Amino acid sequence: MRVFQLLYALLACTPLLQASAAQAPATGLADSAALRATVYGTPPQDIAPLPATVPLQEINIALSWARPLPKVLWFDRRLRAWFSPQDKPAPLAIVISGTGSDGNTQKISVLRAVLYGAGYHVLTLPSPTFPGFIASASSTGVAGDLLQDGRDLYAAAEAIVHHLPASVQITEVDVLGYSLGGANAAIVKSLDAADHGLHIHRAVMINPPVSMFASIDRLDNLFRQSIGPSPQDFDRFYRRIYVRLANFYRASDALRIEDTDLLAAAAAVLRTDADFSAAVALTFRLALMNVFYAGDLYAGTGVVTDPRHPPAPGDPTELVAQTLREKPFSEYFDKVFAPYYLARRPGATRTSLVADNRLSVIGDALRNDPDYFAQTNSDDLILDSAELEWLKTTLGSRIAVYDHGGHLGNLGDRQQVRDMLDMLSGHWSGANK
Amino acid sequence: MILPRRILCAAVLCAALLQAACASRDFSLHSLPAETPASDNAIAIQRSQAALAQLQAAAAAAAKAPGTALTPMDVPPLQTYDPWERMNRMTYRFNARFDEHVFLPVANGYRRLPQPVRTGVSDFFSNLSEVVSVVNYVVQLRPAPGVRSLGRFVINSTLGLGGLFDVAAQFHIPSAPTGFGPTLARWGVHPGPYLVLPLLGPSTVRDGFGFLVDYGTAYAIDVAHLYRGDVAWALTPLNAVDQRANTSFRYYASGSPFEYDTIRFLYVRKALLEDDALRLWRRPVSPDPQAPAGR
Repeated sequence: MRVFQLLYALLACTPLLQASAAQAPATGLADSAALRATVYGTPPQDIAPLPATVPLQEINIALSWARPLPKVLWFDRRLRAWFSPQDKPAPLAIVISGTGSDGNTQKISVLRAVLYGAGYHVLTLPSPTFPGFIASASSTGVAGDLLQDGRDLYAAAEAIVHHLPASVQITEVDVLGYSLGGANAAIVKSLDAADHGLHIHRAVMINPPVSMFASIDRLDNLFRQSIGPSPQDFDRFYRRIYVRLANFYRASDALRIEDTDLLAAAAAVLRTDADFSAAVALTFRLALMNVFYAGDLYAGTGVVTDPRHPPAPGDPTELVAQTLREKPFSEYFDKVFAPYYLARRPGATRTSLVADNRLSVIGDALRNDPDYFAQTNSDDLILDSAELEWLKTTLGSRIAVYDHGGHLGNLGDRQQVRDMLDMLSGHWSGANK
Repeated sequence: MILPRRILCAAVLCAALLQAACASRDFSLHSLPAETPASDNAIAIQRSQAALAQLQAAAAAAAKAPGTALTPMDVPPLQTYDPWERMNRMTYRFNARFDEHVFLPVANGYRRLPQPVRTGVSDFFSNLSEVVSVVNYVVQLRPAPGVRSLGRFVINSTLGLGGLFDVAAQFHIPSAPTGFGPTLARWGVHPGPYLVLPLLGPSTVRDGFGFLVDYGTAYAIDVAHLYRGDVAWALTPLNAVDQRANTSFRYYASGSPFEYDTIRFLYVRKALLEDDALRLWRRPVSPDPQAPAGR
């Protein structure tokens, strides 16, 4: 029965790296401190005060617009979300996860705790790029399109909120998200402004990308630079880390790899900027592999799955995983994403698909509506200086830019949480208050 | 004895049916045990400091004995030895369903018991396992941890009121269980094919066999007549539920079509890293560097 403990140990650490599961540096191998903050996340001693207990409910919902479920994704039939209700009338905070992540990551847990502690009902949702979302809540199955993902996410949030028990009394609805989830949150609010299904009041974006595909390209570059493009390069990287781990355990007294799980240990033996870059880039690539596989399956584009002979649950997937590990986002865009959306959007071009995946598609709302807010770091790996400048000029006093933290490396720290709660409650009066 | 067993079976069946009924609806909402973020973070602070200390100690030790270092040539390949993959995948899928509909609901119910009660149960089983650890440490020719396990068993069985309290940990004698799988590893036995065990989860042929031998050892020694007495039937299920309740692993929480591969990769690498540190003779992980990891 130790097996379960072990599995938990193995998986519990993924959030550590998932933390970094978003994007990459503007300038090649970004600065050392930013990379380290991105991989390690906020040190536990810097986390804002947390409540003693937070109630937690699991929601499973079947959504009518989901595509027919492929046999290999049998476990992703219903969308899973998590809800923490207050026992009195309270505002509802909807939290959206980052790239490829579920609505119950370590980062989500911290946000849930501080929001619940501040008096919110908290509903946490997966990213539209999480495979469980793609299978159970996407109307296309081809994830990564900002507006399409936003529409699916908005519809899912609406369905869930309308199913909540009558005992849950909601005074207002706010939405927030981190990384790609930040951009998703802003889109959801903009959709609601036309639709009024949820009457969303405020939106807070935490470390959002500005141009989705530019941020992703940075991560793919990072992968090329720190690991290399070929399978032999990946093998070399794996051997380098394995050797360090093995020598670590040979030299240490702990002969059983216990609570300090394997991936956390792996994060502890990272040394150079290239190592940290590799960890960030690989985490993103692992998320992309799921998106690529699902997209190929749903769009029937035949890159790694045969549309005429769909894969069965018992089939080996190691070779497919190996193939996908070498493939950057540009290949997903060329072989799955663009063919699928160009065939369904008359007048669309490759250039317009890229342009539609910038935050500027809701630029007017971000500029003129006083209820959009953002928090980011001046050394965030996923933004270049022009993009950061665009965020600052677009949002004006409604953005807080911290000096350090890389990508999400300060999420949950005292300052970030204080400012986030001020923004959500309408008490934010600018960074220089 | 027959009555409680029937009641237990009925309860498990009801839980399963209830779950199945929920699963067929379009919307379901059920409570999970509450999160405890404040104390979790306090533990994380302690752990991060302990991990740092361990890392520094290991780095210092590695610097002292550079001759024994592993080289990239000794690393097992990325591919894992899994000749029974189809069967393993079926078992994995079965385990996921069993966990979702039976094991996890029961464990979540159990988690509503007060924390001191559950800690008592965990400590009790952990204390019982020291007996098996002592035997295996002897066979592994590792007297120091063997004496430590024996000391823990004696202290916790007496001062710890039959193992319900982990007094030894208060005396800074932490638990370090071992079993017959690690014993075989120490004497140079390879893990062999990857094997997903029904209900138990990922293992290898060697460690699955080790698990059976450990149970046999405990049964043969039969401390306090627990394994052959009146309560024997309840022992294994309670241990299982307690372990499950202490583990937040969820099957398919990754949502990923590659979860099986990921778990297999991590499980076997972890096992091989432990083996490498355990083995009596330092030598390459596999005599054939091209053979898939584990063979």
